[in-house]
Amino acid sequence: MTDESQRSEGPAVIGDEPHLSPEESLALIEAQRGKASRSLYVDPALILGAWGVAWLVGFGAIYLATQGSLGAVMPPWAAGAIAAILFAAATLVSFGEQVRRGRGVQGPSRRIAAMYGWSWLLAFTGLFALDLALEHHGLPADLAPLLWTGSSLVAVGLLYLAGGMLWDDRLQYGLGVWVLVTGAGSVAAGVPGNFEVLSLAGGGGFLVAAAVTRARGWRSERARA
Amino acid sequence: MTVERVLPNLDSVIHAQARLRVTVALSVLSPGDKVTFPRLQELVGMSAGNLSTHLRKLEDAGYITITKAYQRRTPVTYVTLTKAGRRAFEDYIAALHDLLATPDHRSGEEAL
Repeated sequence: MTDESQRSEGPAVIGDEPHLSPEESLALIEAQRGKASRSLYVDPALILGAWGVAWLVGFGAIYLATQGSLGAVMPPWAAGAIAAILFAAATLVSFGEQVRRGRGVQGPSRRIAAMYGWSWLLAFTGLFALDLALEHHGLPADLAPLLWTGSSLVAVGLLYLAGGMLWDDRLQYGLGVWVLVTGAGSVAAGVPGNFEVLSLAGGGGFLVAAAVTRARGWRSERARA
Repeated sequence: MTVERVLPNLDSVIHAQARLRVTVALSVLSPGDKVTFPRLQELVGMSAGNLSTHLRKLEDAGYITITKAYQRRTPVTYVTLTKAGRRAFEDYIAALHDLLATPDHRSGEEAL
């Protein structure tokens, strides 16, 4: 009798606990695992989606501001501002997710995440130093946009390859390959076509990856139910 | 009346709602990672007193390690699943599946 009343109340009571059948145990394990995972793991779809929008709209705006086939639709300062805001927002989303999920956790996984985060900062610091030095040494002005975007995409692509290796994530590795291909393709296209490639192929790639991640999540949620 | 008599293969340390919740939450962390007491409390949705009680039982069984560290002179309690704890949890899940694969486990339950 007491067992029945406790079971209907749901959560455990100290001391005299309701008995669990094997089915109830497995259901509890799945539910608790889902709850802990959602709290502890970063949401890759959110991060990939934020970058996808930043690339698609940010580079898209820059493309529209350049004298392309469509003519200048937008003043360059507006395009630059849109891109800067969106890239800053995507950086904040990525950083915020890591900090939020890692709250109160210490150990190897947090060290890996911290080193990975620093890798982005270090890679782009190196890239800035290199590209600025090349400009200083007389890089032709029309080549500057290609250098900045091309070198950035090589860095981004390599870091996604590294992420795929660190977390045994084929989707992230595949995205790294796609970014490297996009980077090479954008430089081959030349200004202003490069911005069109970065917007559609680059941003599109991130958004497809985000959608695939979301779909996988749904599938595993459904399998759990 | 005890679970052990009906389901002899289940680890009684883990086979209790509250301790099962704690074990699952800790198993979601990567091996070697540790979590602070308040964050663990948030993950399992238990009161501090209730959680402490069950943590002690898990610690006595050697399934978890509780360490206290000082961060800016504030004591912080960390909890981590030991290798023995992770193995015991895997064995427990395997035992559950074994029980479900046994056709007469339901009749045994009705004896409760």
